Amino acid sequence: MNFRKGLLAVLLLSLSAFLFACSGGEDSASGEGQKDKEITLDFWVFGATNYEALAKEYEKENPNVKINVKTSELGDHHNSLFTAISAGTGAPDLAMIEVDQLDRYREAQDRFVNLYDLGAEEVQDQYLDWKWNGAENGEGDFLFGLPTDIGPKAMYYHTDVFENASLPTDPDKVSEVISTPDEFKDAAKKVLDETGQPMVDSMEMAFRAHMDALEDSYFNRDGELLIGNGESGVKEAYDFAVDLDSEGYVGNFEMWTPEWANALNKGGFAVEMAPAWLKGYMTENAPEGKGKWRVTTLPEQFAGNWGGSYVAIPAETEHEKAAYEFSKWLLSPENQLKSFVESGLFPSAPSVYEMEEFKNNSDEYFGGQNTAKYFAEAAKQIPEVYKGPKYVTVNNEILTALRNVQEGGDPEKEWEAAVKRIEDLMKR
Amino acid sequence: MENVHKQARASTVKAKKLSEKKKDMISGYLYVAPFFIVFGIIGLYPAIFSIVLAFQKWNGLGEMEFVGMNNFAIVLQDPLFWKSLYNTVLMGLMGTAPQLIVGIILAYFLNMAVIRFTNFFRVTIFMPYITSMVAVALVFGVFFSSNESALANYVIGWFGFDPVSWKTSEWGAKIAISLMVFWRWVGYNTIIYLAGLQSIPKDLYEAATIDGANKVQQFFHITIPLLKPFIVLTVFMSTVGALQLFAEPTVFLGSSAFSRDEAMTVVMYLYRDAFNLGSFGTASATAVLLLIIIVGAAALNTWLTSGAGSKKRGVKS
Repeated sequence: MNFRKGLLAVLLLSLSAFLFACSGGEDSASGEGQKDKEITLDFWVFGATNYEALAKEYEKENPNVKINVKTSELGDHHNSLFTAISAGTGAPDLAMIEVDQLDRYREAQDRFVNLYDLGAEEVQDQYLDWKWNGAENGEGDFLFGLPTDIGPKAMYYHTDVFENASLPTDPDKVSEVISTPDEFKDAAKKVLDETGQPMVDSMEMAFRAHMDALEDSYFNRDGELLIGNGESGVKEAYDFAVDLDSEGYVGNFEMWTPEWANALNKGGFAVEMAPAWLKGYMTENAPEGKGKWRVTTLPEQFAGNWGGSYVAIPAETEHEKAAYEFSKWLLSPENQLKSFVESGLFPSAPSVYEMEEFKNNSDEYFGGQNTAKYFAEAAKQIPEVYKGPKYVTVNNEILTALRNVQEGGDPEKEWEAAVKRIEDLMKR
Repeated sequence: MENVHKQARASTVKAKKLSEKKKDMISGYLYVAPFFIVFGIIGLYPAIFSIVLAFQKWNGLGEMEFVGMNNFAIVLQDPLFWKSLYNTVLMGLMGTAPQLIVGIILAYFLNMAVIRFTNFFRVTIFMPYITSMVAVALVFGVFFSSNESALANYVIGWFGFDPVSWKTSEWGAKIAISLMVFWRWVGYNTIIYLAGLQSIPKDLYEAATIDGANKVQQFFHITIPLLKPFIVLTVFMSTVGALQLFAEPTVFLGSSAFSRDEAMTVVMYLYRDAFNLGSFGTASATAVLLLIIIVGAAALNTWLTSGAGSKKRGVKS
């Protein structure tokens, strides 16, 4: 009896403590529209952005709004966000979501505010269509987020290597000479014969050339796997990479490794197919490459997008209107120009491409070249792609297969094995 | 209704006249409550939820769907799971078995009266254990990088070995990680054994010396049998720890940790399931399987070690 009472006391205590812990941190709801009330917005961002500075600016203009910007690394950011959304508590009022990660949340549409309910149509025509549509659900009546930046791919090429391979070095001439995948291979042959260096840095890049341009890659919009039944272009992209490798045009520099950074620095390979955001990295980590690299448009078949984000509003928020107003302001063309100039976030609003400051932007690292022009051109050619919720997972299996091929595996066997692994993963 | 009132009154009267014993009891419960509350929320609840999840298909966002034993079937049919189990057991043996033996020997020397600066050595040997795991793994990652110029390759070069790619070869990765585990935990076990050695009464050794037993005989017939409880403890802890190996290989391998299988452990396998593949059901099923394996292995090991040295009942332990 005594023991029971003691136990009961402990249980009651623990319960009350638990409830107390759960109720903490919830401030009482303040009504929307009461403009005199102080509103605090939590905003989670990742990577290198200038959003903190912009938020300060917004606070000045709107004294009743306070914005807490929390910046983390890409991986940590998405893990915390996924956990919060999954638990249904602890999510911020606004969050950046990377384009590859967005599809994970499609089935949890109800955890986000539909921006169409807040009147997002009014700004739709400011943004590139393919980017805008990427944040819609299948039916097109729900919008997850407003577009931040995009990652149109262009061709970075090392002028010394091109010169030694007796290829042109002027950006416009290069894009004339290399305007189809076959011409790309011809150039690679020249580079290899004349300099002994690889054209591209790694199997992943060779694969991404076609891969990022595919409208349907691994899944269709119903979530069915396309890869096993030959309906998608992934196999062609895979074969292209295998083909380049068999000719000896592919190097062994895995992106972000020290060896890769070194090759970027010294011109250990001829071409990097990457978006504008690589510029920031090169400026920091490849000082010897300064003045040696140039940027030009890729062959149209390779035009694709790599990276970029949206700003979404989780449904938990109590200030959806205020959050929407802020994100609309943050991602307006004028502010996208600021983000581009200060942090290299490439604008998703095409009107920015016409602005003087954007047009006259010259890049010291690229020998004074105006690189923005080429990325802007690429941005208009990008197809509308659908990735699917398990894109990253599935893609990793194919990359593993490609690595094995580079180490001497049989391409067809590796492909079969990867498809089988992917089919097994889908059952999980 | 009246009865209830009576009872209530009775109990309030009782409550006023709480005996000392009861007060002690209640205060005792209150003192231990904080731990149990915290443990309940962040330990017990997730553990139970994980067992529930093992029978569901869930991606963390959508609806849970009951799938019975299907998750276990998927995991048990996955060659990668068996590979990770093989890796874990192998690295566990390579990393912990030598540790326990070396630990006893080190403790024995540290306990000798003839060695000076014992305190300095004791602190030094315990240092690796209190060093940040991530820092250790990063430093080892540099020592054992796959480059030909890596320090480890330089050292084995003196003995005429070819450079090893420590992060991507089957044995290289296992050896490097086992070494790291060994280096980190050997001090911890040494300190436990040292405490054990100091609890052995000196007069036993004196008596043995008078009886003509030499140092080696004393070690095997007095020290080891009397250390048995400590050996049982360390073997148990090491078994449990070794099967849960996660942080060392993950940090050591860096970005390629979850895309290669040379050093993937069971916990890494389930982490990858949950947080890279978004499949919480199979991850939880793996966790349940791991629980069964750990209980089995720990029971077996404890039984084996408590049986060790019990043949000779010469000394009362």
